[in-house]
Amino acid sequence: MGDHGKTMLTTVICALFAITAAATFAYAERYPKEILVGEVLPLSGPSASAGAQIRAGIEIAVAEINNMGGINNMGGAKLKVIFGDSKTTPDGGVAEAERLITREKIAVQLGCYNSAVTFPTTEVAQRYRCPHLVNVAVKNEITERGYDHVFRDFNKASYDVEEMVKAVELFTEETGVGPKTVAFLWEGTDWGSSTHDFMTQLYPKAGFKVVLDESYPPGQSSFAAQLIKIKRAKPDTLIVACYTPDHIIFSKELLTEKLYFPFGLWSVGAGSEDPTFYRAVPQKAVEYMFVQEDGDIMIKRRPFYDTINNKAKAKLGYDLNIYVLCGYGTIWVIKDALERTSYDQDLATFRKNIRDALAETDINVENCADMLTAPNGEKYCPALVRGIQRIKFDAEGQNTYSHGQISQNIKGIHWPLSPKAVRMPDSPPVVWPVPPWDKR
Amino acid sequence: MERRSISFNWIVAAILLAIAVIIPFVLEKHPYYVHIFILVFLFGYLSTAWGLVGQSGQLSFGHAVFVGLGGYTSTILFMDYAITPWIGMLAGVIVASVFGIIIGYPTLRLRGPYFALATLAFGLILQTYVVNTQELGPIKLRGAMGLLLPLKNGGDAPAVFQFATKTPYYFIALAMMICAVLLSYLLNRTRIGFYWTAIRSDQDAAESLGINAGKYRLLAFLLSCALTALGGTLWAQYFHYINAERGMALSLSIEIVLVGVVGGWQTISGPMIGAMLIIPISELLRAELGGGFAGLHALIYGLILMGVILWLPRGLNPLVMSGLKCLGDRLWSTNPAVNTPGIVGGSGKVEGR
Amino acid sequence: MVETLISALVAGLLVGGLYAVVAIGLSLIFGIIRVINFAHGSLLMASMYAGFWLWRLCGIDPYLSIVIVVPLAFIGGYGVQHFLIHPMFQRERTYVVEPLGVLLLMAGLDMALANGALLLFKSDFRAVTVPYGAAAIHLGFLTIPITRLILLVISMLLALGLSWLLSRTELGNGIRAVGQNREAAALCGLNVYHTYALTFGLGCAVTGFGGCAMLPFYFVDPSMGLPLAIKSFIIVVLGGLGSIPGALVGGFIIGVVESVGGQFVPATSASIFSLIMFLFIVFFRPKGLMGVLEA
Repeated sequence: MGDHGKTMLTTVICALFAITAAATFAYAERYPKEILVGEVLPLSGPSASAGAQIRAGIEIAVAEINNMGGINNMGGAKLKVIFGDSKTTPDGGVAEAERLITREKIAVQLGCYNSAVTFPTTEVAQRYRCPHLVNVAVKNEITERGYDHVFRDFNKASYDVEEMVKAVELFTEETGVGPKTVAFLWEGTDWGSSTHDFMTQLYPKAGFKVVLDESYPPGQSSFAAQLIKIKRAKPDTLIVACYTPDHIIFSKELLTEKLYFPFGLWSVGAGSEDPTFYRAVPQKAVEYMFVQEDGDIMIKRRPFYDTINNKAKAKLGYDLNIYVLCGYGTIWVIKDALERTSYDQDLATFRKNIRDALAETDINVENCADMLTAPNGEKYCPALVRGIQRIKFDAEGQNTYSHGQISQNIKGIHWPLSPKAVRMPDSPPVVWPVPPWDKR
Repeated sequence: MERRSISFNWIVAAILLAIAVIIPFVLEKHPYYVHIFILVFLFGYLSTAWGLVGQSGQLSFGHAVFVGLGGYTSTILFMDYAITPWIGMLAGVIVASVFGIIIGYPTLRLRGPYFALATLAFGLILQTYVVNTQELGPIKLRGAMGLLLPLKNGGDAPAVFQFATKTPYYFIALAMMICAVLLSYLLNRTRIGFYWTAIRSDQDAAESLGINAGKYRLLAFLLSCALTALGGTLWAQYFHYINAERGMALSLSIEIVLVGVVGGWQTISGPMIGAMLIIPISELLRAELGGGFAGLHALIYGLILMGVILWLPRGLNPLVMSGLKCLGDRLWSTNPAVNTPGIVGGSGKVEGR
Repeated sequence: MVETLISALVAGLLVGGLYAVVAIGLSLIFGIIRVINFAHGSLLMASMYAGFWLWRLCGIDPYLSIVIVVPLAFIGGYGVQHFLIHPMFQRERTYVVEPLGVLLLMAGLDMALANGALLLFKSDFRAVTVPYGAAAIHLGFLTIPITRLILLVISMLLALGLSWLLSRTELGNGIRAVGQNREAAALCGLNVYHTYALTFGLGCAVTGFGGCAMLPFYFVDPSMGLPLAIKSFIIVVLGGLGSIPGALVGGFIIGVVESVGGQFVPATSASIFSLIMFLFIVFFRPKGLMGVLEA
């Protein structure tokens, strides 16, 4: 090659180089490397075990998404979650939200398990115009304030209570017998009192007589005093709303007292959905207990169970529960929204775009953009693993298709029994009325 | 040695003040750091107010309750009766003072640990009550959910103590802290301050000199409650949220005590200094470590507390003061006269008769 | 109605036993060394975790693990006094008034211990399941869980034993002497600081004993300590500083008041009762019910 040729070649190569560099530079500038997602959880304090469970689910989902290439719509940007510890206190949640939103500059926030924490934390998000997706928290008012940046993919407290009432009516219809009187025992702070408000509305409306309505301050060393009152009131059925530590003590004392409720002990969740509760309490204490589960309790049978559980067990040391799936599912909801969001360098605009995308969410079993394949070949929609069939937010940000199920603990297995649609082919019939202690 | 007419400490204070005034503008793009400063001033204020009780010799472990009372009063008046918190603040002061008398008067005859435990108990009683009560007659306390401040005009309504940016809150908190420290300083120069010093050194001896210890202790207590209540309103307005579980909590009382003690609790500027050290550490620890290893930041916090108590028992104030004195002597005082006639030791001969 | 009251009374005594067992150790420490041991709850928590892990990893029944946990608790308590509190005392010139710094030092220790446990053991609630966990004595309409009854008995035995130790042995005399007048005791040849450390160790040992006995029916988690510690302060003051039987009686009173009161008012108000009672005692009879030492 002559000198002239060499010069030409060099020029062409340099030009190509320059163009490639410019293009890469421009392309890289167009999309972020990572999208920051904030999650405020109780990582310490009384609700810390639930916080750890939700966290595990989130981390598993994020790893899956990133391994599969991140957010396609944003040039493969990876998700990065920054956790904030609410310490199970409302002000802790508020402080962490402030930090995540103003300092860490997250694009979207999730949280916070405790209703009392979620309530003010979502207000912070709304004030800063950062979209917030509630993954576990039932207080109705969280999505009844007209806050357009707050969404919830979880039950409202009213849904929980409605499901329980419907279950009682279903069992009564099927067997011909049912309770006439009902008693409430609820923790007096946040979640317990929200749930209680609906219990006092819906149970009398359905025709039940409330014979005892007892609140207690969480953290008691003994429920003996309350058990005496309950014994005196002789309700046909007792409904409790307890967080884990109280539920442990209560159930153990109930077993010792051998108090009998013909139509069972009903637990609205929280403590009774925590695996650590079941390890701390003998099976006899929880036999025939009804639980308002926040999602699909037969997850062990689902095709995706092992995939997720192997990772969850590695993180937690025990099998996954519904809260793990709540964390998991909501990250996929975020992914779904991000795929429909246009990126913007300006954080405020980016947050707004995410918010708009979230508002448009409509995921259902037939129409799921992110179907995954289980080891056995079946396809499943990761955003719906919690056991719901559809995610669509109403004008106030609530997923009105959210629902739970009522299970009964028979020989250590939680069998879903209400509504009828969740029953398995091998579900035993409901044990109704519940046999007395000496006949178990 | 001759001194100039303005002492070195005041110069330093003026410089710091000037810096403080510029900060929010310099850090406009970093609202989180402005937030930390606001917390420093807020806790500096609360601890200085708390410190007034300390100046009369007693340690109150229930002061958070006054934060809560102030915040709750002004917020409930705003939420349910549409009274602006600027006025509600004063109502908060009145409510806190009433409770201050209820708590302060009977505890006058108590000393040391009994006083501390009694204030702790009062705090717990009030807190437990508010956390578990939805309404007290016509007053809607809202129990454990706390009071979520309704945003007016999206949070931009100066007339009702709501600002869209952090800067106004910064200056209000700064002003409050400075006023509290100044008040403490001025009180100390009056007779009241002398009596306080006497009472805290030895209450019995002071009484034997005819000082009415009860009266002055109560005065200190009431002043302290009133000021703390104002801080409670600032708390509610800044965080847009106040709840009894935190606003009246033992943990908050301990934090206020901690800040005051680390700084030097029976001094004027001690609590402020304590806040400047403790709050940034606490926040940054939480920010760096909080989400990662649950509990690690609080563990370190506890260890720092233990370390300071073990090795700096009088707090930081003596260190800072002696540091200032050292600097002051170097930079600000005129040198001792060497050739002044008539002074023994001067180079001039003693002029005898 | 009578049935309810008797049931509530019995339940109150059982809970009182739990409160008492936690308070006895504190009473000793508070009464002799005059330290408001803010870390008392965390020290209880630490001994309960020890008992739990002994059960979980080695299968040792909680009652048996007492043999291992109590000496460990003693050493721990001795260490706390020796390494942490002693240097504080050396700095204070007057010993009669409670050094404020120690109070905060213990608060820092409490924070450190509770969060250290959180880091190490995570936040899960751990509980022990023993085969006799649900066993109960049935007397007519009364149901008395065996495990809680055992704790009640233990609390009384511990109180008796400690009282005996304090009044009948030379060690006990020494401890009481130091508690009454530090300087005079030193003049009599007592090693005040060693005695203090022994006392702290003894207080922690007693607490550890009670903690293990709580395991069969209670639970452990990092933050369980503080609420029980606060109850203990109330009981100690109610019963009287320095009085071990006072702590026992105080515990029973609080337990019964909460339990019986809880029949007529919501449990929340019942828990406020005990705080109000505490204030009453502090205002009108600071010596407490059986207070021996000066307030």
